[in-house]
Amino acid sequence: MKPRVYFIILLLLIPFQASLLNPLSFAGVKPDLGLALLYIIGLTTGPVEATLAGMGIGLIQDIGSAGLIGLSGLTQGMAGLAAGLLGSKVLHISSPTLMLFLAAFSLVEGLLIAFFMQVTYGAVPFFSILVGRLVPQAFSTSILGFILLRLAGKKGILPLLKRRALQKEL
Amino acid sequence: MPGFIAKHKKSLFILFLFAFLFWLVTIQVKNGRFTFLEKPVLAVSGFFERIITGSFNAVVSVGKGYLFLVGTTRENQHLRGEIERLKLENAVMNEVLLENDRLRDALNFKRLQPPASVMVQVIGRDSSPFSSTVTINKGSHDGIGRGMAVITAEGVVGKVQTTLPNTAKVMLLTDPGSTLAVRVMRNREEGLLEGKLETCALKYVSYYADIQEGDLLVTSGLDGVYPKGLSVATVVKATKQEASAFQTVVAEPAVRLSRLEEALVLTK
Repeated sequence: MKPRVYFIILLLLIPFQASLLNPLSFAGVKPDLGLALLYIIGLTTGPVEATLAGMGIGLIQDIGSAGLIGLSGLTQGMAGLAAGLLGSKVLHISSPTLMLFLAAFSLVEGLLIAFFMQVTYGAVPFFSILVGRLVPQAFSTSILGFILLRLAGKKGILPLLKRRALQKEL
Repeated sequence: MPGFIAKHKKSLFILFLFAFLFWLVTIQVKNGRFTFLEKPVLAVSGFFERIITGSFNAVVSVGKGYLFLVGTTRENQHLRGEIERLKLENAVMNEVLLENDRLRDALNFKRLQPPASVMVQVIGRDSSPFSSTVTINKGSHDGIGRGMAVITAEGVVGKVQTTLPNTAKVMLLTDPGSTLAVRVMRNREEGLLEGKLETCALKYVSYYADIQEGDLLVTSGLDGVYPKGLSVATVVKATKQEASAFQTVVAEPAVRLSRLEEALVLTK
């Protein structure tokens, strides 16, 4: 994707996530727009670009929150790498089964951060975070990702991006 | 060697970036969170959040104003009754306040001044499930500064973390980076309340202290941020372990932070 598209994503990600997705939140849990977008980037571009995009999105999210700067950059970078590797094996990118992978990515990313928080701050209520936040967020993120994939698929954006990525690889 | 680097330069670059981010995180664990780029990011996100929230609220208010008029008369009557009740309560409280002032004068105690405050609206929420911050619609132009206390009628919300002219970021008391000096209202036992995302943990409470489920925790005023006596949280679980000198106390915030819409920032 072009740099200006990434610039717009990074510019608007936090305000959209922070305010527009608020009505969709339930008990303080809302879908992770950054991860859903990253997943689509991973499926349509490649591991290197998706890793860099993941690091950028994660860093912006870190700066916008009260967490340690770089932690989400690290985990989102890993998620981007995994999505990019998955994307290189997948041709039919609007398949509903891919949503299971997105839910799994969201859950694994959350567990990685929870593990780090446990080591850093100690005695984080792991089970209640898993049940109360990570699982619902993984579920809602996969639904959001599915909607975004469908919308982008209908507009013909996804096939175009995928074709370009394949041409680049060849 | 140069051939290997040239062949794997992309992978090595990515590996280097991962290592750099890991190093960045580990030094913050030791030295505290970096604040670079925080203000520019808050400026951009705050600007768009004001626009988005403003537009959304305008649509909602139209809906509320014209479509949900059913029950307004009954609600009006109920509110009039409530105003009467509060007027009466206020009159009694004024008497108590005057009496308190007289007694304080008699004992040469300093008079208590009600803190100055600014009403704010929440325009954005943190996207990460591992930190708890909100963006508010007022900033340094309205007299809001870093470290100021944020409260509601129910109790403490948190404190201001970053300010810009028209927006500010508030760290909620459930954030893992939040600490607050509190006291058990019933028996004046003191402790430090730390954020644990869903709940809070009361730290450094002696093994022998009498802490019970349902105990109300109030601000002790010792941290210099919050005025004394504000409701903070309620104890939901207190356990003692033989090996530890302190109790493990879990408390639930008095304010429903996930539904926070408006709050007051104490500016003095």
